[in-house]
Amino acid sequence: MAMASAPKRPALALRPAGRWLAAVARELATPRTLVVGGVLVIVGYLAVVPLVYLLHDTFTGPGGLSIDAFTRAYTANSQAGRMMINSLEFAVGSGALALGIGTLLAYVQVRTDAPLKGLFFAASLVPLIIPGILYAAAWIFLADPRIGLINVVLFQPILGHGLFNTFSMWGMIWVQGLHLAPIAFLLMGAAFRSMDPALEEAALMAGAPRRLLLRRITMPLVRPAIVSAILLMFVQSLESFEVPGLLGLQNGIYVFTSRIYFVLRQFPIDYGAAGAYALGLLAFAVAGVAASGWLSRNARNYQTVTGKAFRPRPMELGRARLLVGALVVLFFAVAVVLPVAVLVYTSLLKFYSAPSLDSVRTMSLANYRTVLHMPLATTALRNSVLLGVGAATVVMFLTAVASWVVVRTRAMGRRLLDVVAFTPLVVPGLVLGLALSFVYLRTALPIYGTLWILLIAYSTRYLPYGMRYASSAMSQTSGELEESAHVCGASWWQTFRRVLLPLASSGILAGWVYILVVSFRELSSSILLYSPGKEVLSILIWEQFENGQFTTLAAIGVCMVAILVLLVLVAYRLGARFGVDDSSR
Amino acid sequence: MVGTLAVVVALVLSACGKSVTSGTGGGGSAAGTPAEKVYQQLNALPADQQRAKAIEQAKKEGTLELYTSLTDDLVASVKEAFEQQTGVKMNVFRAASETVLQRTLQESSANRTGNDAIETNFGEMGLLSKQGVLADYRGASFGSVPESGRFPGWLADRLNIMLPAWNTKLIKAGQEPRSWEDLADPRFKGKLTLELTDSDWYENVTKSWLRHGKTQAQVDDLWQKMVANANVAKGHTVMAELLGAGQTAVDGMNYSYITQNTAKKGAPVAYRSADGIAHTIGFARPQGVSMMKGAKHPAAAWLFNDWMLNEGQKLLVSLGLTPSAKVPGDNSLQGVTLEPYDVQGLTQDSKTWDDRYDRLLRGLKQIGGD
Repeated sequence: MAMASAPKRPALALRPAGRWLAAVARELATPRTLVVGGVLVIVGYLAVVPLVYLLHDTFTGPGGLSIDAFTRAYTANSQAGRMMINSLEFAVGSGALALGIGTLLAYVQVRTDAPLKGLFFAASLVPLIIPGILYAAAWIFLADPRIGLINVVLFQPILGHGLFNTFSMWGMIWVQGLHLAPIAFLLMGAAFRSMDPALEEAALMAGAPRRLLLRRITMPLVRPAIVSAILLMFVQSLESFEVPGLLGLQNGIYVFTSRIYFVLRQFPIDYGAAGAYALGLLAFAVAGVAASGWLSRNARNYQTVTGKAFRPRPMELGRARLLVGALVVLFFAVAVVLPVAVLVYTSLLKFYSAPSLDSVRTMSLANYRTVLHMPLATTALRNSVLLGVGAATVVMFLTAVASWVVVRTRAMGRRLLDVVAFTPLVVPGLVLGLALSFVYLRTALPIYGTLWILLIAYSTRYLPYGMRYASSAMSQTSGELEESAHVCGASWWQTFRRVLLPLASSGILAGWVYILVVSFRELSSSILLYSPGKEVLSILIWEQFENGQFTTLAAIGVCMVAILVLLVLVAYRLGARFGVDDSSR
Repeated sequence: MVGTLAVVVALVLSACGKSVTSGTGGGGSAAGTPAEKVYQQLNALPADQQRAKAIEQAKKEGTLELYTSLTDDLVASVKEAFEQQTGVKMNVFRAASETVLQRTLQESSANRTGNDAIETNFGEMGLLSKQGVLADYRGASFGSVPESGRFPGWLADRLNIMLPAWNTKLIKAGQEPRSWEDLADPRFKGKLTLELTDSDWYENVTKSWLRHGKTQAQVDDLWQKMVANANVAKGHTVMAELLGAGQTAVDGMNYSYITQNTAKKGAPVAYRSADGIAHTIGFARPQGVSMMKGAKHPAAAWLFNDWMLNEGQKLLVSLGLTPSAKVPGDNSLQGVTLEPYDVQGLTQDSKTWDDRYDRLLRGLKQIGGD
């Protein structure tokens, strides 16, 4: 009413400044500004709180501002140079291995007529589902130089000694790379699926050989996804603790995270030095973001989802079909069957021992009975499902909007938004836990001690992953579709909901699944934030590990794999109904 | 957008105006928190009336909130027995000792103590006591705690015995380590595992060697040789499990109850030789129990301490642990010879030893002497 009557009384007080304000207010009140503004505030808040906490602890000493923490962390006896080289080797190595495997699998699955496509689903998701600790433990039982099954069964009889050593840099890269490959698979699969094959077909018609086609057409078209995948896996390897913790320490191979772990458990706790290491990680990661920004410049060139209809047609492999099938089976055997088999085997024992007549005789289902009778198992399962679904939904909604701002608009500071949304990746989980408990212990809102604080923690931790999935999906979707919707009179919100989201849904669903799955694994921040009654599955698993109950642990792992495979299947079925390309099945 | 972020940053900065983690001011600032008054009242009652009064009040309070680093299986037994014997419900937050410490410090610095009682490791209890958040239990069970187990703010309820452990299939009888010095012997080359965080063990062995006449140079040499024999692992229970699986032949140091409980499952591990004697001289680290000054259920906290130092001690024996009190039927120390654990040295300066042990494991040259 007031707005309507205002123009009738121009003489009254509406001076130019007032009119400008009214215009701004009108502009601000649109759904677009409200949604975008709200999302930006939330994303900024989630990412900035732990970062500020980290910076505060790192740069303050007893006498105010200081950089002593860096001196403690990087000089004297810290062996910081060696540690940084180890970190880089580990991150680059496992990132490269994961990208190679993930891309190849994704391409074969989405774009060819390879046999045994059902296997891809398991091959790509099971390693992701198995918690890092369990996956590393399984590989100890497989490739330990003395007791590893592969060494004992295959190599010791021939060579007299084991061939593989899981406690080496190569062993670490192998385990981490296999464990990460699903991320690459999910990202690249989404990219290949939403790629218009017209260009490939044109090249084929023009007589280009297959290899040239791959190098000059296909790969450049999925470059944003490749860059995102490299970045994610590089940073995730830098940030992961399980593999360096379980496999690296044996031979003194330290990386950033194992140093942080070490520093955080001393008394008095040197938060400053831990922060200095975390900021070192951040520097590497920011360099990664910058590089990825540079690599995906001219993003318009990669927009393949345009107004034209397309139907990806699978490439016929011909005689190579058999070979490709065999390779898929091999990968499946190594990455899935072996570790899961070892887990199943272990879950039937009373204590771990290499397979023998004795161990077979003691086998029983006792560990599964223990799991079923764990008083916390149902609570933890319920909480984990709630948090996983909740965090995945919150993050993918936030990042879908945020990535739209980054990719589509020319808003000032959109690069900064990209970087800000990325920072939680390098805040160690434990520091995130400390930061959140610090903040919410001092607010009146009933958040501390409830599931909400865990939801906030998970949403923060997985923001960067959501951002990568969403922005690589967005950058493949051409702006012309939005423009058409706009021309047809659709509001921004309608366009976003009815045009953009469905088009990017393949990538967004992949991100959703990924976050759901990794939420089940989240440990380092949960461990400080959970309260009695608010336990989650990862806590239960960690407890079993800490207590050395490998056999019960294995039983929980087997159950968890079964539950998550089921959940993910349901998600894909539902996704298929809402228009996600169903070639994944 | 930048503006929004700037506002958020400013808000957060103002929220964190004060020191974020360093100044953990201790929850119980005044001399008499409401909880402390309850503790004093219960302590002042005649010994035979304390328990009944505590149970009556604890039931009115509702539950007991316990933070502990006792392992999961042990906690389950403690909870079951406590609830059954007192009728008071118990909620447990279980985590590694450093996490228990972090959480307790965070909560008390915000004056929102979440637990009533605490049960965790020596180092953490000492630190919490220094922060002034723990209250002294002086009820009827106090007398059963030996002099050596009484500390300002907390009492020892159990002992972790530090001894070498070995795989009996991989180490022939007679070849097992019979002293800490043995671990430096070339026969254990590549067969030894040391734990990443055992700096208090390192401190105790070092000081014991120096006490018994070794020079610093000899001590350093032994450690260098021991590390040259060894791989490093994280977590004692994990080490015991891998020892049983034959991944390693000897654990340089493990807690005897962990070795014993692994052996009970059928794994071929031991810390005593075939003659039933642990020839290496062990150290017994006190683990403690206490009550919070800021407890919301003080009578329940008091009751838990009272129970843990009485009935709880018998329960610990049945679980294979070493109680701090003398309990008939406890044979966990059979065949074991102990030297005193260096309480004073490690209370004063654990960080130096953390650093030195860390450098040792990473193969860095030791800076000799203290």
